[in-house]
Amino acid sequence: MSHHFLEVNDLYYSYPDGTEALKGVSLRLEHGEAVGLVGANGAGKSTLLLAVAGLVFSGSGTVNIGGAILSKKTLGEIRRRLGFIFQDPEDQLFMPTVFDDVAFGPLNQGLSAGEVSFRVEEALRSVGAGHLSDRPAYRLSGGEKRAVSIAAVLSMLPDILLMDEPSSGLDPRNRRMLIGLLGDFTHTRLIATHDLDLVLDVCPRTIVLHRGEIAADGHTEEIFRDEGLLERCSLEPPLCMQGVRS
Amino acid sequence: MHMADALLSPAVGGTMWAVTAGITAYSAKKLKDSPDDSRVPLMGVLGAFIFAAQMINFSIPVTGSSGHLGGGMILAILLGPYAAFLVLASVLIVQALFFADGGILALGCNIFNMAFFPCFFAYPFIYRKIAGQNPTYKKILIGTTLSAVIALQLGAFSVVIETMASGISELPFNTFVLLMQPIHLAIGIVEGFVTAAVVSFVWKERPEVLEASSNDMPLQRGLPLKKVLAGFVVAALFTGGILSWFASSYPDGLEWSMARTAGVEELEAPEGGAHGFLAGLQEKLAFLPDYGFRQSGTVTLERPDTETRWPAVDPGTTVSGFVGGGLTLLLAGAAGLLLSRTAGRCK
Amino acid sequence: MAKKLDINFNELVSCSTAASGSSLVHRLDPRAKWLVTLAFAVTATSFGKYEIARLMPLFFYPFAMIALSGVAVADVLRRTALAAPFILLAGLFNPFFDRHVLISLWGFPLTGGWVSFLSITLRSVLVVSSVVLLSLTTRSDRLFSGLGELGVPSIFVVQLQFLNRYILLLAGEVQRIVRAHSLRSGSRRNSVSLFLSGSMLGILLLKSMDRAARVHWAMLARGFDGEVRTACPLKFSWQRDGAFVLIWVAFFGAVRFIDIPFLLFGWAVGK
Ligand SMILES: Nc1ncnc2c1ncn2[C@@H]1O[C@H](COP(=O)(O)OP(=O)(O)OP(=O)(O)O)[C@@H](O)[C@H]1O
Ligand SMILES: [Mg+2]
Repeated sequence: MSHHFLEVNDLYYSYPDGTEALKGVSLRLEHGEAVGLVGANGAGKSTLLLAVAGLVFSGSGTVNIGGAILSKKTLGEIRRRLGFIFQDPEDQLFMPTVFDDVAFGPLNQGLSAGEVSFRVEEALRSVGAGHLSDRPAYRLSGGEKRAVSIAAVLSMLPDILLMDEPSSGLDPRNRRMLIGLLGDFTHTRLIATHDLDLVLDVCPRTIVLHRGEIAADGHTEEIFRDEGLLERCSLEPPLCMQGVRS
Repeated sequence: MHMADALLSPAVGGTMWAVTAGITAYSAKKLKDSPDDSRVPLMGVLGAFIFAAQMINFSIPVTGSSGHLGGGMILAILLGPYAAFLVLASVLIVQALFFADGGILALGCNIFNMAFFPCFFAYPFIYRKIAGQNPTYKKILIGTTLSAVIALQLGAFSVVIETMASGISELPFNTFVLLMQPIHLAIGIVEGFVTAAVVSFVWKERPEVLEASSNDMPLQRGLPLKKVLAGFVVAALFTGGILSWFASSYPDGLEWSMARTAGVEELEAPEGGAHGFLAGLQEKLAFLPDYGFRQSGTVTLERPDTETRWPAVDPGTTVSGFVGGGLTLLLAGAAGLLLSRTAGRCK
Repeated sequence: MAKKLDINFNELVSCSTAASGSSLVHRLDPRAKWLVTLAFAVTATSFGKYEIARLMPLFFYPFAMIALSGVAVADVLRRTALAAPFILLAGLFNPFFDRHVLISLWGFPLTGGWVSFLSITLRSVLVVSSVVLLSLTTRSDRLFSGLGELGVPSIFVVQLQFLNRYILLLAGEVQRIVRAHSLRSGSRRNSVSLFLSGSMLGILLLKSMDRAARVHWAMLARGFDGEVRTACPLKFSWQRDGAFVLIWVAFFGAVRFIDIPFLLFGWAVGK
């Protein structure tokens, strides 16, 4: 079981208005690896995740998910293996109730009703949101929304998780819980975030993106100690390391 | 120009429900024929946008009054007629449910009046003709204003027709028309300006959005659509006309037919007993001096010679109405209270 | 305007709060409630325009629904009152145009116009309160799924559910934009100028379209293929929901075809 890798080769992407968001990105995540993707606003983190999931199609470069090259033909299969957690849970919780939302993915996989509700219960339980099942999505707190949006992805049993700012908008306690949760996952994980402390806790490896290009890729602690690099990429070292510096 | 249930007769309300259901089914089918999986979220979110936008009041220059967006033309321009119709219908349903704007029987009328005309008349035959290709600010302004005005005029006129056909309101046709059309001329001009402002803004910021939608799902020319829609309108006017004629010849059609078939009216009509108590009541109810049945010594509750003074309301019915109606209301209230007690105990 | 905006916004929120109760009425299948509400509207509007007394038995319906659902009477009254301008305006013209004297009370002639005005007002109150009760006792998502089960095309229902899902969110955005505007403009004027409204609404519109695109992505990422499937369709129980429909429709039928106030009157005076 070492086939859930993710490989990106020389990926380019420009938005229709001409903004060059990705300029030749290459990276590889091994099976079960947790990697932090950091970079200033507009560095291209979200765009990279979208391109990996085939939600925006780039002009050149390849994406390889566990041996399948991303193309229109493999799109369905690749998306089944990827779990994409979006930056704003509001965008992801589009169904009327929590249950419907978490069941959306499994239902699209064509599972039976019994299997679907089993998956939904499992997924909700694993993020500690079992009691929310019948609630409408708009009546959840920020933390609950985040938890449910993660469950909505887990219910599809993905191999690889792509996460865009999973800790944004969470209070300290919920953020703590999220970090615990992410640390316990065994999926291959690519986590785009501004929360460097989260990266420090969850991801042994970090990739720094700067203006659509990879500025660094390596050991998290080493990267966060490299002040020159952080400075160049308009990043601040994580709070817990700021004391060490001075 | 939301119509309320209270001015509608079930016949007119029902007819317009059927017409609207037909257009809805037709639009849904059209959309199904050209699937586009990004359409559903876009429709939903734009519906929410229209709803939210209607919460903003803007001041209307000179008049000092304020108005809000109807949104029909914006939706038609962004989504094409079929999707826009469904979205507008949804907005009206939500308004009826959560803000009691218009009623449930009136939904058919309201959807027809406010969604049909902008989507299926003004947009294809006016806006697209003027500003469909190579838009400019001027074309957009003229196109939206003209479409908004005409859509609202037609909508307002059909409010008048539906109200007249229902026969509940006493407003004479001429007066009603003279009241509705000019008001909606003003509203239409404002709606047109705001729509133009929004559409030009979008056109300036994201021209591709307008281009995409103007190529999307044009109403096929020469197709039976025009005929189908014209058919709908004619059918509605026709049924409405017949029904209203029926309604006005027999002020209470249902009651009339019931009386003929089952003799219900006679059923509880007085057999001496009632007459006796009425007579006895005369003294007690002397505070209603002129209600007139005193003279009716021998007359029973059956409608006497009121035939000549048209609406057949005879004094006996009036008294029984006052007292009986009051009693009924009391009883209904008491029953409700009782229910809430028992329901409370059950919990 | 900010005030009206807040009222509307709060109205939406309070409605969704009330609707998430769990009483007998809340638990009924939404289809049953739709049918009964519609039957009620048809019954209430089917009476002649001078009919007053015979509308009275219909008040039992809202009373009973309030009692059974435990919804606050104040809520129902307040929301019904929201429609008051409508209700009063609807019949307002009748007294001016229908001036023939129907009866005279204490020597005052009462014209047909006033009688029909009263009748229109009463039926408005009835119908509006029944719809208010429908929305206060049924969660909106169930209300709309119910429409789908009643045969409304699925694309319509699905986008209606999306609309419903994003209303509060966008309404909140509008609220913030308008607040910021009135703070900055510093004026206590009650509305946005016509010209500003173009860019204000335009920005909101583009933001909404971006959101729709992101929602679409989120759907695609979870295997969306053009068809939205839902897991648990509503369950119509004949014992509970069927009985609810039958009982009320029978009651409305009785009210329509039997002159209950008259019978009551006869009964009361007969003694
Ligand atoms: N829909 C779009 N159309 C045009 N340009 C876009 C669009 N979305 C993003 N961009 C641009 O692409 C670049 C990369 O944006 P992206 O959202 O990927 O950055 P990010 O690293 O996720 O930033 P943030 O940390 O703020 O989320 C930015 O310059 C941005 O302005
Ligand atoms: Mg981002």
